[in-house]
Amino acid sequence: MSAGRPREETITVGGVAIDAWVGGQGHPLLVLHGAGGNRGFTQWMQRVAERFTVWAPTHPGFGRSGDAEWMEGIDDLAQFHLWFIDAAGLGRPHLLGHSIGGWAAAEMAAMSPGAIDRLVLVAPAGLKPTQGEILDIFYIPPAQLLPLTVHDPKTVPEWDTLFGQAPTPEQLAAAERGREMTARLTWKPYMHNPRLARFLPRVTNPALIVWGREDRIVPVECGEQYRRLLPRATLSVLERCGHLPPIEQPEAFARLVIDFLEGETRR
Amino acid sequence: MKLYYFSEMPHHEFPDAEGEKYPSLRLEFPNRFFDRDKAAANYQRYLDEYEAADQAGFEGLMINEHHSTPSCVNVGVNMTAAILARITRRAKILLLGNILPVEDNPVRLSEQIAMADLISGGRVLSGFVRGIGVETWWSNTNPIHNRGRFEECHDLILKCWTEPGPFRWEGRHYHFRHVNPWCLPLQKPHPPIWTPGSASPETAVWAGRRGYTYVPFLVPFEIARELFDYYRQGAAEVGRTVTPENLGFLICSVTADTKEKALEAGRHFVWRMGPTLRGPSEFMAPVGMRSRAGSQFALRARPRALSSMSYDELLKNHFIIAGTPDEVADRFAFVQRELGIGHLLLEAQESRMDHATTMRSIELMGAKVVPAVATL
Repeated sequence: MSAGRPREETITVGGVAIDAWVGGQGHPLLVLHGAGGNRGFTQWMQRVAERFTVWAPTHPGFGRSGDAEWMEGIDDLAQFHLWFIDAAGLGRPHLLGHSIGGWAAAEMAAMSPGAIDRLVLVAPAGLKPTQGEILDIFYIPPAQLLPLTVHDPKTVPEWDTLFGQAPTPEQLAAAERGREMTARLTWKPYMHNPRLARFLPRVTNPALIVWGREDRIVPVECGEQYRRLLPRATLSVLERCGHLPPIEQPEAFARLVIDFLEGETRR
Repeated sequence: MKLYYFSEMPHHEFPDAEGEKYPSLRLEFPNRFFDRDKAAANYQRYLDEYEAADQAGFEGLMINEHHSTPSCVNVGVNMTAAILARITRRAKILLLGNILPVEDNPVRLSEQIAMADLISGGRVLSGFVRGIGVETWWSNTNPIHNRGRFEECHDLILKCWTEPGPFRWEGRHYHFRHVNPWCLPLQKPHPPIWTPGSASPETAVWAGRRGYTYVPFLVPFEIARELFDYYRQGAAEVGRTVTPENLGFLICSVTADTKEKALEAGRHFVWRMGPTLRGPSEFMAPVGMRSRAGSQFALRARPRALSSMSYDELLKNHFIIAGTPDEVADRFAFVQRELGIGHLLLEAQESRMDHATTMRSIELMGAKVVPAVATL
């Protein structure tokens, strides 16, 4: 990677110390992680960092970031990350969010469309499916949940690096803390905001929605809803892919993201 | 030591093989196995047994509440309290209890408990519980807020009972602008408050600070002693003296005319130790419901799951006490010496234990065991 190794920074936002991975070169791209936590500079991110400066903060209540037990919902997390953009001096970054991070990104765009440039939503929660349900991730043991998040673990290039080792007690405690924060933010209404759909038409930013055809966590039908509600959105559905496109198909995913962020968009 | 009669009002009216097809009898076992006719008859029967326990001389009648489970179809502790308030005459009515964190209206709760206290002539003992995870799923209450809601709900109920209305309540979890309940308990300043425990040191300390009667459920003696130490720690913080009146314990127990009959009846308790507790840990303790300290204590508190114990082991460890009246009185005295408690709560009917067996046990307990342990 031409921009050198990513670095770890701590940026304090509203009294909460936020741990962030920063790396790459070019226009800033803010990346918001899902309920599984910040997995750092994985393969797709390294590829994207060749063209953009990737900022990947860890949400409050996850990893090495501080607590924010006062938060009640994803809208709080969205407001918080809008503040993070200011605190980190990112100007008007592109914004990419995955799963609950995608939901937060959609809320941010609806709250303050002028604060961001282009928007990438990857299998975001946030809308209630019209058919099917968002999987209740708290109802099943974490070990049973993990294989459900991808289409086929055998095809995930970084599976062994990310999940191959038995977790240490510290990693288990950190994962539990992240699950608690996710529960705090998403419990009821479960994984969606009934009012979000009313505000999404405000977001005229160019938007790319990416989904895995075999997503067993958030139905791909929600991707269709996002595409309909966001005035300038395209939906890209990856075949043989589950809920984690960035790590299931890192090269294809990075290509999609780069092409979208660099490309012309329809008016 | 005082004895209390308790039935979970089970609905064990289905083939066990059907229940075994599901990950848990709680939440997942479909309610098409709920037999309405048998339930209607069982409620009458269970209430008759409570009435008999009142007449037999038990100090109190304990009732509880669960949801989405055949192990306990008493789905409204205040509803049952109201019935017992009217059909019984002398025993205390121990609600153990109202599941505060899943309650959305503490003001209504304060009124309902007060009404039961009034109708019963001041016989209510008001237990407050955090509930198990199943009730969190049933009510879809965020488990992250379980302890916060428990404490705030408690605080608002106490304020309803002890401070004149109207007043306003703007808390974190509860918001009421015009609180002025026109139903206050007969007992002043309010009914005695009890709280159970099985794994949470925080609850023991909390109860100790307030002088509430604290009752561990079905834990090994050494764990109960440890929880009582936490209780004493809380009491010491506020300079409160702890007496046996502050401490209770819950076990399963049945007596009969012969040891053989009692041991046969006691087998019915194995169902509540095993099949009814089977299921993913997420059902019982969803994410965030327990603090880190609580989770670690819970692991130690149950070095072996009750479900993994044989009937003989459950008897040996005093989770179940079954025998002739003399034998159970002797064992109750042993429990009293081990724990220094003033209240022993007896889960005295379970599973498919029949009415005749239950009634004979109630009769013998009242005639022989209640007086035998009264002076301990």
